[in-house]
Amino acid sequence: MTAYLLRIFIKMAVTLFAILTITFIATRLSGNPIDTFLGEGLTAEGREKLIAYFQLDRSLWHQYLAFLRAAASGDFGLSFVERRPVTQVIASRIWPSAQLLLTSVSLTLLVSIPLGVLAAVYRKSWIGSAVMVIAFAGYAVPAFILAIVMILIFSYTLNWLPVVGNGSFLHFIMPTIALSGVLVAALTRFTRNAMLDVLGQEYIRTARAKGLSEFWVVMRHGLGNASITVISVIGLQIASLAAAGSVVVESIFSWPGIGQLLVNAAIVRDYPVLQFGVITVAVAVVLINAVTDIAYALADPRIRLAKS
Amino acid sequence: MFRLMLTTALSAALTTAAFAADITVGAANVSPYLDPGRDHSNVGSQFYYNSFDTLIDRDHTKLESVWVPALATSWELIDPTTMELKLRHGVTFHNGEAMTADDVVFSLNRMFQATFAPYAVRAKDRLGNFSGAEKVDDYTVRIHAVREEPLWETLVSLQQIMIIPEDYTKGLTGDPAVAEDSDYEAFSMAPVGTGPYKVAEFMPGEKIVWERFDNFWGDKAPLDRATVVQISETASRITALKTGEADIVTNIAPDQLSLIDNDPALKTEGAATALFHVMIMNQNNPKLKDPRIRQAMSLAIDRDTLNEALWQGKAIVPSSHTMMEMGDLYMPELKTFEYDPEKAKALLKEAGYDGFEITYDTAATYYTNGLLAAQAIMEMWAAVGINGRVNVQDQWSGNDPEMMARNWSNPMYFADPFGSFGVMWAPNGPSEGEGRFNTDADYAEKWDRFRFSKDVDARRAAYAELMERIKQDPPVLPLYRPFESWGMKQSVNWAPQPGHIPYVLDFRAGSISLAGS
Repeated sequence: MTAYLLRIFIKMAVTLFAILTITFIATRLSGNPIDTFLGEGLTAEGREKLIAYFQLDRSLWHQYLAFLRAAASGDFGLSFVERRPVTQVIASRIWPSAQLLLTSVSLTLLVSIPLGVLAAVYRKSWIGSAVMVIAFAGYAVPAFILAIVMILIFSYTLNWLPVVGNGSFLHFIMPTIALSGVLVAALTRFTRNAMLDVLGQEYIRTARAKGLSEFWVVMRHGLGNASITVISVIGLQIASLAAAGSVVVESIFSWPGIGQLLVNAAIVRDYPVLQFGVITVAVAVVLINAVTDIAYALADPRIRLAKS
Repeated sequence: MFRLMLTTALSAALTTAAFAADITVGAANVSPYLDPGRDHSNVGSQFYYNSFDTLIDRDHTKLESVWVPALATSWELIDPTTMELKLRHGVTFHNGEAMTADDVVFSLNRMFQATFAPYAVRAKDRLGNFSGAEKVDDYTVRIHAVREEPLWETLVSLQQIMIIPEDYTKGLTGDPAVAEDSDYEAFSMAPVGTGPYKVAEFMPGEKIVWERFDNFWGDKAPLDRATVVQISETASRITALKTGEADIVTNIAPDQLSLIDNDPALKTEGAATALFHVMIMNQNNPKLKDPRIRQAMSLAIDRDTLNEALWQGKAIVPSSHTMMEMGDLYMPELKTFEYDPEKAKALLKEAGYDGFEITYDTAATYYTNGLLAAQAIMEMWAAVGINGRVNVQDQWSGNDPEMMARNWSNPMYFADPFGSFGVMWAPNGPSEGEGRFNTDADYAEKWDRFRFSKDVDARRAAYAELMERIKQDPPVLPLYRPFESWGMKQSVNWAPQPGHIPYVLDFRAGSISLAGS
């Protein structure tokens, strides 16, 4: 087990190191901060001064080594734009994003799994069709459209819900729904398909023949087995959401999260923020994958038992 | 019932103190740092005046320059290159320290004799004539100029030399007796000034909270508290105003004004900003070497039509690089830039223009109406036979030798042509530095006469000569002064004041009041 964990750890470290190096090189090849956000109204001499001040006049190789040396001691430098350590910049932004991710994932699970089960069980009645129509519609509506339409109805017209920031429970409602929309649609369909697949299996007929109530057949033997597929899908979806999915929603609702920060950092080439931000997101994705793996193992006795 | 519950919860969440003078501003952008010295951005200029003071201030209700005492109570020239200023007694910084001549000398010399690179670049273009400041006694300082300075008050009232506390700043990092670069970096995250509002909370790019500073030397601040939150999406800003989450919102585009004005509880205030959106043309692009081609590019553009179509006629189209804020140096009689399509056609023919493509770079959203203006300009160019193409890209291309034309802005950093044209188009200034504008000894001599002549008429004459040079070999066309609007509740009495540089959110006494408080 220790060897297994060690192997995972080494793999993670190599992945992160590769991501770091690629980010370092890619950002520097695509333009520099002096010509983007610092550039307006600079004399040639002033430009040279700033380039020297931000130590961008050194060779790429030199910058890279200096960065690695500092990073090894936990110093990822000052943001070029916000003049404070990037670790602080990212730390102040990560919690709001994580909160939103949590509420969105919870909502997604609470809504899409029952819907998916319903759609599978009642696949031949209007209930099943209605759920699938909603799911397809949800899939077709991008988050920013959903967000704007909700704002128009619930804030602009009815004045029920706030649109700015993350100050209270009410602030979570629209961003959570906007972010969950596509996820719910996707997961409902996956759950339905997985359930249909499972409900057609022999052991379901056996369970019914044993005289179990239909509810227990569906919930325990049906959903229990379908959840293996569902969990792996959820893991992937959350990871993609954590990496980039929330940028638009955060921007519309002025959510002080990491998505907007990284987009702005990319536009103005704030190298230190980009570097540390990418590492943070990469770590998050790696962790989410690990959690998914564990959940997957717990849900599937074949994996659970094989590993133990 | 559901609605009642929600509204109750909402008001509980949003109302902090029912009768306090407390407002929230929804701003398109909140600064990533707060340091008046290194900053000259349109985003930053919103915030400094509430928290910092200059030695000399101006009456911001007036368009013309009327100088009023601020941290200096009086000032006089004791010789042609030395100004002596008497400092106000009893001024306290937000951290409780008393302001003395040491703080003033420190604040001035951090710019005049800058060692910190971000200060040095801002100081050079506008404060370059000042060699240093010295303390005479605890409440008297002297500022030394290299050459006789015609713009003393104008330059001493610049945002970049607002006064900050010496001991506090030096003590932020490292050795408390030395001003290190890291002290200035730390200051920009925890700013302290002498103004009527202290920065109680600052979350870069997100939020600024001002609280009334009770020991302010001047008139008591009218607001207990003002919170600025960044709401980058226009639709969200307008909605926040409607829902009551914001009392004032910034940067409302002309086509959105009716959304606010149609609501009886809301209103808009606006002004033509002291800033030009300009088109720049690269004098050194081989294809545009012949000035007649650039003249034609400029003459083909009907700026009045752009104003009507994009700004509902509310923008201001200038006849020269001049603004009415510039007082004696306002020269609308100069006809540097005109619309004359026939002349444009003739010039193109003379220059032997063969229909090669001329690109016009613009970012998609950076300047309000920037992309629409670019597209309209292509039509206007086509009408005189210029084969133009809009090139949409976010990257700044002003320093790219391949660049042919693009949009840019020339803000008025202070109310003199030196604060606008004079910075951007100085010999060895930013435009020449980027390699798209050339000057020679003759231009430098004219610029120097315009900058340093003691006599107003001599300055005017020199400026007219500079404009003639620009007309003959054009590197720039000012398109218009954009009309900038703020939306607010009817209960808020606030409007941008004519005596400020662009975008200042002035919440000082006399500048804002709330009905019912």
